Amino acid sequence: MALRTFARSTAAMALAIGATAAGAEPLKIALVETLSGPQASTGLLYRDAVKYQIGKINDAGGFGGEPIELLEYDNQGGPVGAADRVRAAISDGADVILQGSSSAVAGQVTEDVRKYNLRNAGNEVLYINLGGEAMELTGAKCHYYHFRTSPNAAIRVNTLLDGMSEAGVLGGKVYAMNQNYSWGIDVQDNTVAAADRLGFTVVEQTLHDVNKIQDFSPYVQRIQAAGADTVITGNWSNDLLLLMKSASGAGLDVRFGTAFLDQPGNIGNAGAVAEGHFLSAPFNPEVNQDQTAGFMEDYKSVTGHYPSYVEPVTVFGMMLLQEALKAVEPTEDGLNAADLAVALENATANTPMGTISMRAADHQAVLPMIVQEVSRDAVYKADNTEFGFVPIKVIAARDAEQPVQASCKMKRPG
Amino acid sequence: MKFAPLLLLATVALLIALPWLVSGSMLNAAVQMLIAALFAMAFGLLCGQAGMLSFGHAAYFGVGAFAAVHAMNAFGGAGLLPTPLLPLVGGATGLISGLVAGYFSTKRTGVYFAMITLALAELLHALASHLKAVFGGEAGVSSFRMPAWGIGFGSLTDVYFLTLVWTLLCIGLLYLFSKTPLGRITLGLRENAHRLRFLGYNTHALGTLIFAISAMFAGIAGALQSMNIEAANYVVLESHISTAVVLNSFIGGVRVFLGPAIGGAVMTFFGYVTSDLTRVWLLYQGIIFVLVMMFLPRGLVGELVERLRHRSGQGVARSLGATLLRLLCLAVAAAGAVFLIEFLQRFLSSEYRAGVSEGNWPAISLFSYDWAPLSVLPWAVGLGLFGLGIALVVTVNRRVADRQEAQA
Repeated sequence: MALRTFARSTAAMALAIGATAAGAEPLKIALVETLSGPQASTGLLYRDAVKYQIGKINDAGGFGGEPIELLEYDNQGGPVGAADRVRAAISDGADVILQGSSSAVAGQVTEDVRKYNLRNAGNEVLYINLGGEAMELTGAKCHYYHFRTSPNAAIRVNTLLDGMSEAGVLGGKVYAMNQNYSWGIDVQDNTVAAADRLGFTVVEQTLHDVNKIQDFSPYVQRIQAAGADTVITGNWSNDLLLLMKSASGAGLDVRFGTAFLDQPGNIGNAGAVAEGHFLSAPFNPEVNQDQTAGFMEDYKSVTGHYPSYVEPVTVFGMMLLQEALKAVEPTEDGLNAADLAVALENATANTPMGTISMRAADHQAVLPMIVQEVSRDAVYKADNTEFGFVPIKVIAARDAEQPVQASCKMKRPG
Repeated sequence: MKFAPLLLLATVALLIALPWLVSGSMLNAAVQMLIAALFAMAFGLLCGQAGMLSFGHAAYFGVGAFAAVHAMNAFGGAGLLPTPLLPLVGGATGLISGLVAGYFSTKRTGVYFAMITLALAELLHALASHLKAVFGGEAGVSSFRMPAWGIGFGSLTDVYFLTLVWTLLCIGLLYLFSKTPLGRITLGLRENAHRLRFLGYNTHALGTLIFAISAMFAGIAGALQSMNIEAANYVVLESHISTAVVLNSFIGGVRVFLGPAIGGAVMTFFGYVTSDLTRVWLLYQGIIFVLVMMFLPRGLVGELVERLRHRSGQGVARSLGATLLRLLCLAVAAAGAVFLIEFLQRFLSSEYRAGVSEGNWPAISLFSYDWAPLSVLPWAVGLGLFGLGIALVVTVNRRVADRQEAQA
């Protein structure tokens, strides 16, 4: 055994000496995602998208002449498992940590990375947040080594309201119906804040229990009583489906503006009930057809399905990382994460939806958003139904951008 | 049983030497195992010794975790509460909340008791997401372990020793408690609460006290957890944390003293290792629980203790031989089952379906061989191994039974 190790290390050394020009160690990127249990479906989408784009980066030569190694860790759905796996990833040599499917986990990972970097100056790791949309991740909890490549509540709500207002479907009376936790409260606050700018009144605001309500009819009655034209909601999963179904069952004539209507299964479950409702998301397959069609087909040929929900924006975030990696020189032990952080702040990537970039002030991605409507006329149908998403308005990255939160006090190195 | 103290000493020595023996990742697992062991022991006191099945122990674990994280932020690891003493805060809040919750829930017994504990835990969980100031909202409350007493508490080894000292201390205290008169009456509460009342004991006060002590140790475990990850998030109050401790304790054996601790440690280790190897580790965990409940209802440790206690006329060597033979046959069956499950999981995965085109079924790579899904071979290997293993176990069992009959 000892002899074999010796022989192996000698061989490795010989290789390393012979190939110093080609770079020493492959860059390791760790995906710490929910890959098992009840919330695994979203985690697996992130995994598909990350694997797809890492494959593209490696086809284009990888980093420092070596293919990038993607390490996968299962955070078991919660912050405790994530804290464990972040430690494991760092001790396995990962320089970049990717995660997206839950803000609770994101809150843990970003703090773990911050503390690790404080204790191990000169040996930093980077956290790329692919989808934790809670405002405080780029607010009170923002720090230099956290980068968010997905939109957040402010971007979602403001682009949604802008798009609906321009399309003339917003109406004068808006009802804010949200889940009673940080995400729902963020959505509600942003809806109320936009009222003066867009000239509507928020007739009522409701915060309800998260994923506990089976019968939404009392809430629908309140919408009816308030005489709302539009309901703006950050609800997801069952809370969104049951609310829409209950409204449709009561014969209520309101339009829903949503953030997560494109979650796989939603359109399949809601069917015609979802028709005419709106969504603001960073991707629509009918925008920029000449580029997007190629991306759609290529993605399908690799993963077996068209990109949807969080997958496109994850791919775009990885494109941004790819551009940043091009600007970084590999060092002897792989990669200096501080260099990559600087490069990421200056990176821009051309995606099928337009140009995306990273804002240096709070490390929130600035990306185009597409306001879209559920319609039978869509080219790409969702969940094998006759419905899909038709783009109503493409909001360019600089128009979708929202101000930096005052609570973000980022300490920059040096 | 003269070798018991020796065994104990050897285990403690091994635990102390662990940081120099295993990798960082395994040491991390060891910290989790210790915390799970202490949490399960706290649950075991209530469920195993006092016979009260609580379905809401996550509440006291979570209360301890949040108390510790807030204390960590308030004191900064200095002054009255230096970092190593922070679990005391978790214990104190656990004790107080346990007294309150215990007062209500121990008014009833059996199923009603379980329902009340479940309801109280869910109440706290539902409240937690609304009280952002206390529970930190979706992103949780985070903190920073400060150096104290000349120890940095930055490295994993420091955290490991902190957890180890607290866990051993608490398990020691629980052992001593079980030897006190109060600890003996606890067993009476489980066996026959009515008779205890006729003897003049106040069973409600007794139940409340036991509940509070159990909650106190759960709180200490929660505090250790939030010190380990330097944060607390309201997902620790979710019901699956409560059910996990029930499963762990029962797998270990809830009625023997160290049963819950070993169950907690073993199942945490199992999850830690398998979750990176396979996506369906939760299925295996469930299968293990069902099998343990069906064939070893006393739990792993409970069964072991029982076997050692009732050594029959036949020699130890022979019964050990039969057990080893059974385990070997079971391993064959398990290999077959694992092969089948893993093969099916890959066969049904979306990645595989992406590669399937008209009439073309690519081979599936599993255990460093490529298997064609349409051929008989992989299915025969899986089913064959499984069937062979089961058949062998049945044969061994029959032989052992025959021999016992012949001797009788």
